[in-house]
Amino acid sequence: MSKFKKEAPKKKISRRQFIQISAASTALMVGQFALPGASWSVDGNILRIRNYSDILTLDPAHVKSKNEDIINECIQNKLISYKPGDEWEWQPMAAEYMKQLTPTKIEFKIKPGIMFSNGFGEMTAEDVKYSFERIADPETKSAYAGDWSLLETVEIKDKYTGVIVLKKPFAPIWMTSLPGISGVILSKKAMESVDGNFTTNPPTCSGPYIFKEWKPKQVTIIARNPEWKGPKPDFDEVHFYPIDDEKTAEIGFEAGDLDFTRISVSSYEIFKSKSSSDSTVVNKPSLYYSWLGINKDNPVMKDVRIRKAIQKATDIDSILEAAYFGQAEPATGIIPPGLIGHRPKAINPPKPDPEGAKKLLAEAGFPSGIDVTLDCLNKSTIVTQAQVIQASLAEAGIRVKINIHESGQFWVLGSEKEMKDKVKDIQLITNRFSSQPDPHWYAMWHVTEQVGVWNWERFSDKEFDRMYKEAAIETDPAKRDMMYQKMQDLMEESGCYRFITHESAPTIYRNTIIPAMTPEGVPLVRYFKKA
Amino acid sequence: MLYYLIKRIGVAAITVVIAVSLLYGMIHAVPGDPLSIVLGPRATPEMKAALNERLGLDKPFVVQLGRFFINVIQGDLGTDVFSERPVSEIFFGQLPYTAGLVLLAIGWSGLLGIPLGCYSAVRRDTLIDKLTGVFSVGTITIPSFVVALYALLVFAVWLRWLPAIGAGKEGDLWDQFIHLILPSFAVGLGWVGYLARLVRASMLEVLGENHIRTARAFGLGERKIILTYALRIAVLPAVALLGVGIGNMLSGAVFAEIVFARPGVGKLIYDSVITRNYPVVMGSVIMTTIIFVFSTTVADLVSAWLDPRIRENL
Repeated sequence: MSKFKKEAPKKKISRRQFIQISAASTALMVGQFALPGASWSVDGNILRIRNYSDILTLDPAHVKSKNEDIINECIQNKLISYKPGDEWEWQPMAAEYMKQLTPTKIEFKIKPGIMFSNGFGEMTAEDVKYSFERIADPETKSAYAGDWSLLETVEIKDKYTGVIVLKKPFAPIWMTSLPGISGVILSKKAMESVDGNFTTNPPTCSGPYIFKEWKPKQVTIIARNPEWKGPKPDFDEVHFYPIDDEKTAEIGFEAGDLDFTRISVSSYEIFKSKSSSDSTVVNKPSLYYSWLGINKDNPVMKDVRIRKAIQKATDIDSILEAAYFGQAEPATGIIPPGLIGHRPKAINPPKPDPEGAKKLLAEAGFPSGIDVTLDCLNKSTIVTQAQVIQASLAEAGIRVKINIHESGQFWVLGSEKEMKDKVKDIQLITNRFSSQPDPHWYAMWHVTEQVGVWNWERFSDKEFDRMYKEAAIETDPAKRDMMYQKMQDLMEESGCYRFITHESAPTIYRNTIIPAMTPEGVPLVRYFKKA
Repeated sequence: MLYYLIKRIGVAAITVVIAVSLLYGMIHAVPGDPLSIVLGPRATPEMKAALNERLGLDKPFVVQLGRFFINVIQGDLGTDVFSERPVSEIFFGQLPYTAGLVLLAIGWSGLLGIPLGCYSAVRRDTLIDKLTGVFSVGTITIPSFVVALYALLVFAVWLRWLPAIGAGKEGDLWDQFIHLILPSFAVGLGWVGYLARLVRASMLEVLGENHIRTARAFGLGERKIILTYALRIAVLPAVALLGVGIGNMLSGAVFAEIVFARPGVGKLIYDSVITRNYPVVMGSVIMTTIIFVFSTTVADLVSAWLDPRIRENL
């Protein structure tokens, strides 16, 4: 039999039929998608918010990012929380009242009827005691133990009332320990049921929302808490999408997939210029601070005249224009506007003084200029900063070679443990830290104890160290303000710092919602409303 | 065939061991203090020491590597530093998203690229052939991230036909498919061009071979000759390429997962490298290496199955 046997006739589709089927399918698909103005947004009862990273743990003792605090703020309670608005203030959350009895004693009373989900009962003062002392306990190994390092105990007076007793007065308690992540109240009973530990599956919730689901790298969903006795939240569910790339988040917002997101500084003007009745763009001052550090233990930089020449030659205005698109203000120190200790102006103005810098260099024995190195992180904003610094220092005869580092490599450059004596090879470095809204946390990295740890300028000043300790226990805001301002004067006079900016935090949201934000634009989601 | 199969599996196992050892060394050679990155600036020396011991970073490199392989053989890929979940659970939770993306990208690029190459070869030197050539080279040269961004702008932002971010609702296959269209388009477009050029060249070669001339001499229809006898041979290089392509697309999926904010293995590894989450990096790397080696082995076996001459040469 032939290999090439004749096959039985099959029902074939003619070319005409094929074209008809294709056209019909295409029409069907287009009909499906091409609804006027259709977007992939879900219905208005679901609020969709972008977080810049996925959650890793919701245990307040071990959270890794602000995102986890944002979710905790919805599903749990604190005695007090940050007040939405443009000023850094606090307001009661679970507390009926808070009373400062003495500089070391704070009395609180919890609102009756706050229930923990999954049958763990009503919130009591015992839960407050457990939660705060758990974070302070060295056994917990919490990175936030410092927030409660001065906690002596929490005395329980009755079911709802207690007294926070401190070993010494601790001024930051009102703006960081209590309204921050360390102030989250967990259920003692629930925590004991999970042997004191959980990560992404909280055993119980007490806020207006409860934890519903976490899909790794995809979404975290919280839903309205049926047992919540307070004002009913406007949304059935809130979906938090982990999107680390700001440009992706911007496209997601424009495509209708998000209701609220932080946007990049470079996009702020673009979004603002698009006059839209659908969305609102706001630009908030951030809590970051960015500066040019000068290592005083480097053999070349040990002469204060050279350090001051670098301070004078740096053009802050050009940095802000090039790296922040003119959307950020010059910093006057490490403490941003709105916080105690913010200086109205820096010693060195933002404008450069190349002639003054040249004069100082000549006095230091370098009339024809010097060659220096500048280390920076491989982020586009930071690299642009470095390039502008390079150009402005060149005007004064300071020739800068830029060394760009990957994050893992960068964050150990000044660590004595890792780099040993090489830490003294650093000459100039651009750096950027964030902090909690109290000056104590801004100053902590610049004390002598931090030299070779996070103090890479190796700045060391006895007066600064003394004032740092005194300001932490000073309860008079006016006195604290003066102390932190003086501390920043000392930093700048040392020649080790040229403060650049506190950056800005542009945010966009849909006009179908009324958001609530801290002064730096962090969403306080439990207070979000429908427009 | 059995001997060939055993030989291929043996080579695959050795490849996995060598590749993973090299990757393990490279990851540990990356400068930076993983403990500071993992624990953050407020970590105490005691916390760092405890994590160092837990990760086994205090042991010599060879001991760490040996322990890693022993654990892998016992089915233990390690535990995530942050969430303390088993790495295998994390990896296999992300794998379906990447697998769906890669398979759809391969599927549509193969369905378009192979017939395009075949048609182009049959209509050699015609206008269609030339246009196909321009289209193929065009798709190869446009970087995938450019395709992704323009696809997002056009279909998600301007027209709002397709979603821009995410992977769709769990359990809703249609929604998940809709969320896959743009990413798979971006990942697969370049492969359309590759496959079309490859199949065209291969087809032209096959059409000149003796068995095709014989088939024509027997009076078989041109359609049957092309589809049954020529294309079956001409598609072999494309099958081999697709095996390697799976590995290539696994790495290409990283950009798609970032740009489209999708979950997936690429994004998992990327995030883990940035946060120095070594157990997740190593567990994921060994699994993707195994998948890559497995897919190339399967491609070899499919080639042997399709072409009797390969089987005969074993």
